Amino acid sequence: MVERTAQPAGLGRGFWAYTAILTLVAIVSIVFWYVFPLERYLPAAIVTARQVDTLFRFMAATGSALYVFIVGYLVYFAIVFRAKASDAPDAIGIQIHDNRKLEFWWTVIPVLFVVLLSVVSVRIWYEIELEPANGLVVEAIGHQFYFSFRYPQINGEVTDEMHLPLNVPVTLNLTSADVIHGFWVPAMRLKNDTVPGLVTSIRFTPRLAGRYPIICTQFCGVEHSEMDKQILVIEDKDSFDRWYKGWQQKNANASNALPGAGGAAISLQGGDAAAGKLLFSQKCTACHKLAPFNQTLVGPGLEGVLHDSNHPNLVNGQAANPADVASILENGYTGSMGAMPSASSNGLSPQDIANLVAFLNTLK
Amino acid sequence: MAVAALHSGGIADHIHPEPQGFVRRYVFSLDHKIIGIQYLITGFVFFMLSGLLAEAIRTQLLNPSGGFVAPGTYNEVYSVHGSAMVWLVVIPLLTGGFGNLVFPVQIGARDVAFPWLNMLSFWIFPVAGLMLFSSFLMGAPTAGWMEYPPISLQGAAGTSMWCAAIFLVGVSSTITGINFVVTILKMRAPGMTFTRMPLFVWGQFATAPLLMIATTALAAALAALFIERQFGVPFFDPTKGGSPVMWQHMFWFYSHPAVYIMILPAFGIISEVLPTFARKPIFGYKLIAFSSMAIALAGFMVWAHHMFTSGLAPFLQLPFMIITYLIGVPTGIKIFSWTATLWGGKIHYTTAMLFAIGFVGLFTLGGITGIFLAAIPFDLHVHGTYFIVAHLHYVLIGGSLMGIFAGMYYWFPKMSGRLLNETLGKIHFWLFFIGFNGTFLPMHWLGVMGMPREVATYDPQFTFWNRFESVSSYLMTFAILIFFVNVLWSIRYGKRAGANPWGARTLEWQVPSPPHYYNFKHVPTVYGLPYDFSQPLPYSGLEEELTDSPPPVAAGAH
Ligand code: HEC
Ligand code: HEM
Ligand SMILES: [Cu+2]
Ligand SMILES: [Cu+2]
Repeated sequence: MVERTAQPAGLGRGFWAYTAILTLVAIVSIVFWYVFPLERYLPAAIVTARQVDTLFRFMAATGSALYVFIVGYLVYFAIVFRAKASDAPDAIGIQIHDNRKLEFWWTVIPVLFVVLLSVVSVRIWYEIELEPANGLVVEAIGHQFYFSFRYPQINGEVTDEMHLPLNVPVTLNLTSADVIHGFWVPAMRLKNDTVPGLVTSIRFTPRLAGRYPIICTQFCGVEHSEMDKQILVIEDKDSFDRWYKGWQQKNANASNALPGAGGAAISLQGGDAAAGKLLFSQKCTACHKLAPFNQTLVGPGLEGVLHDSNHPNLVNGQAANPADVASILENGYTGSMGAMPSASSNGLSPQDIANLVAFLNTLK
Repeated sequence: MAVAALHSGGIADHIHPEPQGFVRRYVFSLDHKIIGIQYLITGFVFFMLSGLLAEAIRTQLLNPSGGFVAPGTYNEVYSVHGSAMVWLVVIPLLTGGFGNLVFPVQIGARDVAFPWLNMLSFWIFPVAGLMLFSSFLMGAPTAGWMEYPPISLQGAAGTSMWCAAIFLVGVSSTITGINFVVTILKMRAPGMTFTRMPLFVWGQFATAPLLMIATTALAAALAALFIERQFGVPFFDPTKGGSPVMWQHMFWFYSHPAVYIMILPAFGIISEVLPTFARKPIFGYKLIAFSSMAIALAGFMVWAHHMFTSGLAPFLQLPFMIITYLIGVPTGIKIFSWTATLWGGKIHYTTAMLFAIGFVGLFTLGGITGIFLAAIPFDLHVHGTYFIVAHLHYVLIGGSLMGIFAGMYYWFPKMSGRLLNETLGKIHFWLFFIGFNGTFLPMHWLGVMGMPREVATYDPQFTFWNRFESVSSYLMTFAILIFFVNVLWSIRYGKRAGANPWGARTLEWQVPSPPHYYNFKHVPTVYGLPYDFSQPLPYSGLEEELTDSPPPVAAGAH
């Protein structure tokens, strides 16, 4: 029995020499990920893109170092411990079953690494979350098969490119008029789905002028593959203002009708304030007083919600204009005060919303 | 005397005479080994069909403007490809296939606990598979294997067929899960305690509850989608008060555990093949078994890592990130243990061993990119891109499929009595290994640089790597063809295997190949773990297995 068993020969000199080589390769791969010029291939268009790159470099570096060791030893053991022609046909390996110390360390070290990785990624996640919420509010709406954009002082929708000024914080609200799309700008290292019936937002600050493709990352229908042709333009304030004025004029007479979640537009034009007043007393007074903003019941007072210079922005950070109030009524909103129900849970038709907005607009 | 001995195994010894006649023996068989082979054959047939679809995908992507099939057809092709590979290939091969074939013998049972249910769950499977493929006749689903509403509400009639087909496979999986759990809990041979079970059994034992519990969430989601599509009850349509994100929760509450359904049995296969050919005990048996259970349990707590872009409240996402990181720990422990198993071995390079070592190398890469994806900020960049496609194929092909191939080369002699040809096997391995990496490695950087998934056309800047991938995928397909040729050839002309061609130590190798109808003439008694090569085999009661003594006689109530 015993003679055909290979003897535990210690790890051997070859092992340590090989480990030194692996260490070297691991160090080279770590250095590689830290010097690799990522931004030459994919510019970092917003401030937090670089944070994402930092996280990526950290994971790629530690991940490849780990991989080098695992595959390195795998290949090394596979070669060194192969059965040789000189071995007895029934030769067997070293019969060890486990090694408490080794197993302890290869449990504890990964746990420690998970703690480190968690700290690194939560910090970077937090920096992305910390992007200011009081910037320019832009809305991107997914359609089959394009994105449209809304800006505070531009009527209607901007349908070709999305322009943003350099170094101005942006809150981008995302929603969809039909199915789920994914709004992705690779140069921003950021995406979010546009989900019908839901408004989600991402916040960021553009840092690098340029033209960057906007790509849809959720399958949305037969032309989904073509939904990569629109461009995000980041430019200096002056060029942005010129572009902005151009659209203001071009869309001066456009309606602010919002697309409903099924593609049916909610027209704010035909709102009936009297009908809205009646509806308000039925559906809203449980939570809202007709009083100034700070007189809270469940939600804020709504007197002057559209005309109070002390509260230029709505609770969701958007400018107080009829379209945005309509969007709160349509989609609901949950903030620090609680939950404002959506149109479907309040039982509001698009016409009801138009009526309510017309009513709220009469309160000065 | 004989009767008393037979009864020592409790319900395992409830013996009926072996049925005669082709239909009862090979078609509506109750024998777990035949059912296992039926699963393997059916699964590999579906594998060929979905493999053809895969080549259609790669052929389309030879050119940035596509052109091989129309964009609408392309969407049908990859949707059925993905659904079939997951539900008709990997899950059935690993659970119904290898599970049935191997683990009851490994625990010293005469069959599974509920043979009739076993037959039922098999026969549901080909029916469901044909239904899924028949959806091409009525406009197949187009929204990928995840079929997110509302777009899946717009799909042609085939999407409802898809719901029904996947629902049925789910029923089949659930039955198999129940059957396996009861079998492992109740039908182990005397002395086969939990800490003596082979690791393949542990793999099935960790998987079976996932099949039972997670699949119910999928079934509910599919039923809801079907009802909404056919009868308009608005579960998911937001314009009528439904919630599209609800689908995603239900889908991933199943589908994350499902990725473990697709890998834990493969872990089990690897844990048998490595010690056998290294001529060494598996390193860290207890930790490997325990980590499978830990992974299965934690697998229920991470589903929302697929939904970081779906508009969940930001703070709710953090726990999902961190628990997903933590799953990396037991996974890492397994990888370290397999690597350490090679140390000090006398390694025999059979094809099964090559696939097992290849598995460790490739699965590890997929596991590491999985950790990348759990990091919310990075996932917000690569979610929905080719990076995901790379990750999931490294775990599913580099992991699950390599495991399946290792299992085929390892257990083919047990099921057929003949060895697969080793020369063809080695050619298969090396071409497959090269072709696989050539196909999927470049997808990592394509995704990071801006190529979204599920597209029929793409930005011309990505042309070079896409062509490279397509050509590599042809190589991979060629390797798989060699495998099929090998199987067909070896079934008739392969070298005779005998009971134990590999000198392996688990129970299935101590009985003839193929084992007779009730697996054992006398139910064996087990005294220890199988893995120590310096010890005599830890079984008694097997003395007559390889002799001409008659098979067990019918006894018991009927
Ligand atoms: C269940 C209680 C509830 C009901 C009913 C309700 N709201 Fe609200 N509403 C809220 C809460 C809470 C907020 C503030 C959300 C926050 O920021 O936390 C709010 C916010 C608003 C705002 C934004 C105010 C601002 O200054 O930004 C408007 C406009 C509004 N609601 C209109 C309505 C209308 C019109 C109705 C009737 C159809 C209605 N609400 C019914 C609870 C309610
Ligand atoms: C340590 C192990 C793993 C980790 C940490 C991990 C993590 C992840 C994460 C976070 C995602 C979501 C990415 C996204 O959609 O943005 C993902 C996707 C996926 N993973 Fe894993 N994973 C692991 C192992 C596995 C295994 C073992 C399998 C299967 C055998 C698997 C199969 C998949 C599949 C199929 C997807 C893609 C789902 C889709 O279509 O979007 N993963 N993985
Ligand atoms: Cu799309
Ligand atoms: Cu997952």
